[in-house]
Amino acid sequence: MSPGRVLLTGLALSVIAALAPAGLGAEPVPSWSWLAWLGAFAVGALRFRRGGSTAAQLARRIVWLLPFVLTLALPAALLAAHGARSTAALALVARSLAATTAAAGTAFVLGPLGLTRGVRELGLPERLALMLEAALVALASMLARTRAMLRARAARRGRDSAWGLLLRHPLATLAGFGRFGAALLLRTLERAEAQERARLARGAGAP
Amino acid sequence: MHVPDGFLSAGVAASSWAAGASCLAWALRAERSEPEGTPAGTLGALAAFTFAAQLVNVPLLPGTSGHLVGGTLAAAIVGPWRGLLVMAVVLAVQALLFQDGGITAYGANLLAMGAAGALGGYAVSALVARLRPGVRGLVAGPVIGAFAATLTGAGFIALALAASGLYPLAAVLPLLLSLHVPIALLEAALTGAILATLARWRPDLLHGLQGSRSGHAPAWGLLVLALALAAFAAPFASGLPDGLETAASRLGFAAAARPLWPALAAESPGWLAIGRAGSALAGLVGTLVAATLAWALTRRLGPARAPEPHR
Repeated sequence: MSPGRVLLTGLALSVIAALAPAGLGAEPVPSWSWLAWLGAFAVGALRFRRGGSTAAQLARRIVWLLPFVLTLALPAALLAAHGARSTAALALVARSLAATTAAAGTAFVLGPLGLTRGVRELGLPERLALMLEAALVALASMLARTRAMLRARAARRGRDSAWGLLLRHPLATLAGFGRFGAALLLRTLERAEAQERARLARGAGAP
Repeated sequence: MHVPDGFLSAGVAASSWAAGASCLAWALRAERSEPEGTPAGTLGALAAFTFAAQLVNVPLLPGTSGHLVGGTLAAAIVGPWRGLLVMAVVLAVQALLFQDGGITAYGANLLAMGAAGALGGYAVSALVARLRPGVRGLVAGPVIGAFAATLTGAGFIALALAASGLYPLAAVLPLLLSLHVPIALLEAALTGAILATLARWRPDLLHGLQGSRSGHAPAWGLLVLALALAAFAAPFASGLPDGLETAASRLGFAAAARPLWPALAAESPGWLAIGRAGSALAGLVGTLVAATLAWALTRRLGPARAPEPHR
């Protein structure tokens, strides 16, 4: 199957799962909703497996979302009709996790390269597709650089906690954050400018 | 602030997707018509920077942390339309690769973080930059703009959740606005700190706001500020019937009225309410702190000088 079709089916499954009724507004949860969530979750998990991932990796990828999902689902379930609160809470959590798994499995099996080919096949404007490609290419080195800068910053901080420093020297700590962000931004832009100069030197056209 | 999949109704998801796509189409057209093009690689790298900067989480309240969103920052550097495109790419990467924000909620997230920051925050920045010319205005503007944009985005998310039937608006709007005051202050502080450093090291990079002192952006800024003010002042609105309600009651057709969205008209449950003075007080204190931040961050700004080493 072409990357465009893989992306399209994954997104469609995710949308169907996300929009299946979940018992809000005193309505019961229809049985097809549970089937849709089960199907979306199964397809997502299968795609993870096809991409070479284990069940533990899938769980790690999805479980971190639980605090956000529960924060939205539990108070909303308390507003549901009496007697249907636990069902509404369970349905909201299942709906969110199933839709997320379908989309995550699709992105995992495609990888960054397949994803950019997929969005091109789906007709995304070329300018946005180019930006997405450039962002994905820059992302790995950028994340590694940020983590290294954060480690260096934590090492320089010594025994002081982040809050302790902020409370004792608020402006100096804020200025430190500013230097951190500005240094990262400048390195990013300078690297992108150098790549653009190299591209033009090789005879490529205007952006 | 990222809304995951499964919490927006079909109508809200579809309408926010349509509005977000219209904003993107507008941004692409506006960007194409600008005389100086920015390479897609540079904008993509800026998107990767914004994504990486969002990794720096700062603890705010017990159990809550915040991070830079970056819409107003991106707009201050590359202009509002390119800023919106950068945010669209950041949110797409987050939704597709990191499951941070849902596919169906992408439109709502784009409006709440991308459009509110890159367009709303930029408009407020342009208004402040017009009132305070020079490099100080170029930094103080985005500080106030980022603060207003975060609260505008939170207000939009509250509207979307209420319209989806998840919560009553009367409860979720003041709650989300109050919770977002510290997050908005963090956004304002980080935006200002990064721009103040850039203003010292490479002031030539702050060209996003350079052309904004003419045109309609400051007027839009006034509108964004008025909306933010209205959201905080809403709990103090009079409970007495307005002119139409009085006329409807006298003429006897008041009972025929039905709410357009029942969820929006629902009463606020007591356990979810924070009190009507609470959100207004949070907004007032937050605005004062944001103004102080803007003053403190721009106090020492002068002519550009050689870069300092990163410490």
